[in-house]
Amino acid sequence: MTPLARSSYRVVVVGAGILGLYTAVHLARAGVGPVLVVDRGFLSSGASGRNGGGVRQQWETRATIRLARESVEAYRAFGREFGYNIWFRQSGYLFLAETAAELARLRGVHDLVVSEGLASEVLDAGGVAALVPGIAPDACVGGTYLGSDGTLYPFPAVWGVYEAARALGVEVALGVEALGVDATGGHVASVTTSAGRVATSVVVNAAGGWSSEFSRRAGLEVPNVATRHEIFATEPMKPFLDPMVVRVSDGLYFSQTMRGEIVGGVTVRNGSGIEQGMPSSPRFLTEMARAIVRLVPRLGSLGVLRAWSGFYDDTPDGFPVIGEDPRLPGFVHANGFGGHGFMLAPAASRRVARAAMGEPVDLDPATCSPGRFLSSDRPRSAERLQLG
Amino acid sequence: MAGAPERHVLFDRSPRNVRPGETLLGALARDGWPALQRSIRYHRPRGPYCGVGHCTGCLVRVNGRPNVRACRYEPGNGDVVATENAWPSPRFDVLGVLDFLFPNGIDTLHGFRRPAWATGFYHRVVRRLAGYGAAPDPSAGAPSTAPPVRRTVDVALIGAGVAGRALAAQLADAGRPVVAIDRTLHPPTVPWADLLPRTTITFLPAPAASGDARFTLLGFEEPGRGVAIRARTVVVATGGYDAPLWFGGNDRPGVVTAEGALALSAPDGRVPFERAVVFGGGPRVADVLERCGDAVAAIVAPGVVEPEVVRRASELDIPLYPRSLVLYASGRSHVRSLTVRSRGLGPRFTLACDAVVLAHRRLPTPQLFFQAGARMEWRGGTGAYYPWLAESCETSIPGLFALGETAAILPDGGTDAAARVAAAILGRPLPEGAPPARVPADGLPEIDGYYRELAREPRAGRWVACPCEDVLLEEVEAAHRAGYRGIEVVKRYSGLGTGLCQGRYCLPDALLLLSRLEARPPTDVGYITQRPPVVPTPLAAFAALAEPAPEAPVP
Repeated sequence: MTPLARSSYRVVVVGAGILGLYTAVHLARAGVGPVLVVDRGFLSSGASGRNGGGVRQQWETRATIRLARESVEAYRAFGREFGYNIWFRQSGYLFLAETAAELARLRGVHDLVVSEGLASEVLDAGGVAALVPGIAPDACVGGTYLGSDGTLYPFPAVWGVYEAARALGVEVALGVEALGVDATGGHVASVTTSAGRVATSVVVNAAGGWSSEFSRRAGLEVPNVATRHEIFATEPMKPFLDPMVVRVSDGLYFSQTMRGEIVGGVTVRNGSGIEQGMPSSPRFLTEMARAIVRLVPRLGSLGVLRAWSGFYDDTPDGFPVIGEDPRLPGFVHANGFGGHGFMLAPAASRRVARAAMGEPVDLDPATCSPGRFLSSDRPRSAERLQLG
Repeated sequence: MAGAPERHVLFDRSPRNVRPGETLLGALARDGWPALQRSIRYHRPRGPYCGVGHCTGCLVRVNGRPNVRACRYEPGNGDVVATENAWPSPRFDVLGVLDFLFPNGIDTLHGFRRPAWATGFYHRVVRRLAGYGAAPDPSAGAPSTAPPVRRTVDVALIGAGVAGRALAAQLADAGRPVVAIDRTLHPPTVPWADLLPRTTITFLPAPAASGDARFTLLGFEEPGRGVAIRARTVVVATGGYDAPLWFGGNDRPGVVTAEGALALSAPDGRVPFERAVVFGGGPRVADVLERCGDAVAAIVAPGVVEPEVVRRASELDIPLYPRSLVLYASGRSHVRSLTVRSRGLGPRFTLACDAVVLAHRRLPTPQLFFQAGARMEWRGGTGAYYPWLAESCETSIPGLFALGETAAILPDGGTDAAARVAAAILGRPLPEGAPPARVPADGLPEIDGYYRELAREPRAGRWVACPCEDVLLEEVEAAHRAGYRGIEVVKRYSGLGTGLCQGRYCLPDALLLLSRLEARPPTDVGYITQRPPVVPTPLAAFAALAEPAPEAPVP
């Protein structure tokens, strides 16, 4: 293992996924001083290298819509900013409703999205069929569509922020695990890693599915739960499907990538915890195949190429956790994104960097702060459109 | 010969006949080397390569269904077969110009970012180029509407080759029934077992913690019927495959693995080539000479040539070129010659040929062991991963056994290994004596020294590291220069190993390359996670298995 370059850093970021690396870029650009990013795995080994690349702005709360909208603008400019082409294709997200009740819920989302200035549309079954060639008759009663949502190719986004961070002098130590946090006088003083102990006054927990484990290593109980979600890709085909399709009832989602593969998943209860590792299951493969073939029967002869899985980092109210933990000053959370960290990373990382620098964050504490779970009051709102 | 009677199909609108027992590829090969595909990125001419359903060289559209492998497809009467991904035809494709326009490759990682207003245009063009076939026709539907095969068995044997058959015989003697599952379209019957032919097990998850039949095997019967088998004991004897080789123009039509050459040969021994150069010096070369020795013009070997091959070659009057490096193949739409240099400081020379048959290295098929979570170990003798085995040939997972080539057991030890597995299954004492000899664990394969020497040669022609995704060797090296380390990251960076063959025809050589570039052992370079399914499995086959399985007692 390569030893770390310094014994002391201004900020230590745990997790070299998209969020941790983006945060490191913002910190380095702000000139805070030496920044270290550690990750126990290889680059893109976590959810940043395992997601389906969806980026959407259709959400049930204004807080999430605004973060998503800002991220869409950032991803549009990614190629110019970071030198890598992430093939961000704004070909829409289509939410499918199978019942009138589901459609009513989607109408509510639509009204909120429109009030935020985005051009969402409500579609009837015919409108849906025009966007999904070969959809089974009676497969849905309608849906909503937002054309500026889209999909991107996650890997080059990781390479882009990784190289930008390194060019700015950030040290990225891969294969190095963060083992614990030591505090003196109630404030973060050092981080113990598998490559030695380093002094720092700020540590950022951007460890994705592993975040609750790391919080506990720092002595902080958190409600985050890692849930394993599975995904598959088919053999590539010529262009067939433009939008990302998401079904409200069972969380079925799929899109056709730039490479021509259909990539998607469906909600299967796999239990929680990182101990289970990241295997694939027969149940997912068969249920996902059944769901997609019932919806678009002509895809039946298409081959499943590969399946894999990764962790969502879920919170009780569906909102992420961004900001300094009131119980341990210097410990900054950047986790709990519930499977949507990649799409929100550009906007979220700006807030994380501000929190790490001790600056105020322009987010409603009721929907993002670590402290919201500490009071016995129930959270006032919740983001429940945790699909796709 | 088994199989359907003579059938008539339309191939690109012209009628063809398919003889009993022939695959579509076999039928097409009777009229010469079939030109069926273009490569995915540069539209380079491609032809059949592997012959066993993994590569992209023989994908065709059949009755409105894309990506049908001609080497694995037995046509029905009246089938409509069309080539895809080329216009007007794979032999002459307008987009073949891409290969000349981008001599240094197309950089999709950094390119196509400017001007910003052209983004939509780039997206449309690049999407059009991606993919092999068009989406299935609305009328195509599922390839098979037959209900899935569901069985609950005592012993499931995956692979009914030499090793598997030896085990089936021994268990039959003791009265234990075996269900044998084999990918081959027409395997010879296994007298002592219940045989499921044309059936590929594509997913063997880690077994359940308890229960009577702890293992679940998922897969499909060609062309698309779902198969689910529950078993108490599983024996994997899936054998191996013929390895690829990197050189200039290594993806040219006419370059095939030994299995590819055998798939192109008719039952009477006729092959669509006359002057093949065979690369290799061991028993696999002897197999090729046995089937089509008359069509072999030269034997080029990376090292020494084994006496048995020397004897056969001298009978057939075939010249031998031992200890040689293959530099490049010439010929655009089909290989015309192969340029070779003797190792050391030997001379460079060119051999005229119309095929290059790769028979130098056999690799195992470890995917099911990886999926099941068995403990794996690297064996330097071949440069590949195999399951760790107890003396009974049981893997680290109780009830999961390995036999034959995929277990690293050398051919001489096959019967002894089968006896050990049989004894373990029957609860009898293991046979006396040392366990059967396996592929050496230490050292590096012969091909590693070969590649190290080849790396010092100037390169000519395109070196296609990953033919499925058209990833050039330079792109893999560029990933290394950019600071990316380890096979998992280089795979994600370059696209290497993400295509239809799931890395079979790039990963083994890429591991040795990265080991050299990163100056660390191949085991430190890592290994690409072997994800299910082992081969692309039709959605309809998996979908049919989603219904809950009726409970059945283990026989």
